[in-house]
Amino acid sequence: MNKNRKFIIGFLAPAVIMFILVFLYPIIRTLMMSFFKIDSVTGGIETWKFEGLSNYQALITTPVFQTSMWNLFRIWFFGGIIVLSFSLLLAVILTSGIRFKKFFRAVIYLPNIVSAVALATMWLQYVYSSKFGLLTTFFNAIGLKSAAATQWLDSGHKFRALLLAYCFGMIGYHMLIWLSGIERISPDLFEAAHIDGANKPQQFWYITRPLLKGIFKTNITMWSVTSVAFFVWSQLFSTVTADTQTIVPMVYMYMQTFGAGNTVTERNAGLGAAVGVILCICVIVIFTLTNRLIKEDDLEF
Amino acid sequence: MWDAAEPQAKVIQDAIAQYTKDTGVQVDVEFKGRTGIREGLEPALEAGQHIDMFDEDVNRVNGTWGKYLLSLEDMAKDYEAAYGNATLFSIARTAAGGTLKSIPYQPSIFGFMYNKDLFDKAGITAAPTTWAELDAACAKLVAAGITPITADDAYMTNFTGYHLARLVGQDMVKEIVTNGEWDNPAVLTMANDFADFASKGYFSKSIASNVYPAGQNQEFGAGDAAMIICGTWLPNEIKDVTGDSFNWGYFNYPTVDGGKDDNTANNISNQVLAIEKDSKLSKEAFQLITYITTGTYDKEMVTEALSIPTDKANSDAWPKQLTTVKTFFDATKTYYDWACDVEANNNVTPAIKENTTNLLAGTITAEKFVENMKAAGK
Repeated sequence: MNKNRKFIIGFLAPAVIMFILVFLYPIIRTLMMSFFKIDSVTGGIETWKFEGLSNYQALITTPVFQTSMWNLFRIWFFGGIIVLSFSLLLAVILTSGIRFKKFFRAVIYLPNIVSAVALATMWLQYVYSSKFGLLTTFFNAIGLKSAAATQWLDSGHKFRALLLAYCFGMIGYHMLIWLSGIERISPDLFEAAHIDGANKPQQFWYITRPLLKGIFKTNITMWSVTSVAFFVWSQLFSTVTADTQTIVPMVYMYMQTFGAGNTVTERNAGLGAAVGVILCICVIVIFTLTNRLIKEDDLEF
Repeated sequence: MWDAAEPQAKVIQDAIAQYTKDTGVQVDVEFKGRTGIREGLEPALEAGQHIDMFDEDVNRVNGTWGKYLLSLEDMAKDYEAAYGNATLFSIARTAAGGTLKSIPYQPSIFGFMYNKDLFDKAGITAAPTTWAELDAACAKLVAAGITPITADDAYMTNFTGYHLARLVGQDMVKEIVTNGEWDNPAVLTMANDFADFASKGYFSKSIASNVYPAGQNQEFGAGDAAMIICGTWLPNEIKDVTGDSFNWGYFNYPTVDGGKDDNTANNISNQVLAIEKDSKLSKEAFQLITYITTGTYDKEMVTEALSIPTDKANSDAWPKQLTTVKTFFDATKTYYDWACDVEANNNVTPAIKENTTNLLAGTITAEKFVENMKAAGK
């Protein structure tokens, strides 16, 4: 028993130490930082100024932070609906026995491996260009002149433009997660349903959908985690200075922690830390709610 | 602050190679780019990493990182006498609170760049120096069927900052944005001036949606718009779009009637090289700075990066694309910060950007601009 214990500790120790250093320590430090005013993010504790809850109070009352949280909510909610439903549809189609399944799977996943900078440049400078862009050319070609004249990146359309571009790139990733879930379901179940006269939509509704509950939870959690970290796309759509239409909390956090891109502004890494804590709480709330509302203990297959 | 692929980085690498060849001192250089240095320099210095010298914008180096800098007053005495551009050294000293702690290079000035051929086509003979002259020039361009002014979102706040600074000076601009004093009558005056221009069709239709670099590439560089608000780094950035035969012009942001500052107050910015205060190789570092910022390699910076020369001995070697800038650069006596400090408050900069864009696009009125800015809080 003693020998066993030594082995257990010996094998667990490296992983536990890494976990503490890379995860636990930064989380605790960030939480502590959120109660202070800090100039340099790596400054020693002696440079921190205690502020209590005033960072949180400042955030809740700052209009641009409220806007960023609202933008993030819309990205999470509407983007989530678009991405999860499209990716599920594509996953169901791919598992329904069509030809060239591997090819389609690769093509749909391709945007995920292309750098966000390259994708965003393509969307911004080509697809959405009001001079010669894909959308403008397409609408002109089918005679919809007023649609063609739309400025896809002006402040009335920019958010939806960003959302569309982002969702396009995310569908492949979530489709793969759905695919893995659907492929776990035994084909005997579908065969039996087919023999009993169920058509494809009925098979989806009564067999696939209920058995994907666990995968649905996974997808929501993964979507929430990546949404909360929404940063690069927002920066790319608004270049050096942030935009009210595309700003998200991470962009605000970056501005506060490292200062603005052009003018040298006051920095407060404590405020940035407070943003991080708020985002973390959001993810925990979503995860808890998802677990409460979607129960899969009654499933066995 | 350069990415390794940028022409400025290549010139620096050439200067380093020559320096090592001449002195035998090895140089380890890392090109971090704009964000890399802003994020990583201070943590590296605080962790005790040996960094002998670094560069970035004059205000960031002397402001944010001022506490890491070695005073160069003694070391740079001869350098300044031999090579020092008075304007740039004055800016560098002011940024550090009166002491010289950095050596400037790669200067630029921010204003309006214009297409001389399009100006000639519309019959405009001289670059505008006042708002009224700009109005007249735009009217001629519209009559000739040419889009007068375009801009990219990245530089949008310069309209707001410059115009307000012309009216009330830079210090008041900073006060307005920091304290939310959007009731200041200068704000409404500025908004009305822009709304007036917008109603006359002086701004490009795409100004509402130009995400950098759409405006400079697709409109100005392609010869579709006559003027663009930008810095004098523009010819370098779009040289592949314009080609060699583009007829470049420049003028400072015009004087506004009844305002506090005239067009001799402008944002001259530059990068600076600074030496870390505990560096054991400060003399060698300073020697390298001399290689990069003077003589041959300053000339190379001019030809490769189409930049304004730093070394006063090269003051006749301006690139041909920037020859019209010289009189305006030399005439500048008051030095503004970036966008005249209109971006000094992180919490309202996004709202300033959006509302200025909509004002120029003609989708909001001047009164709505003021109302929206008041709602953006502080």
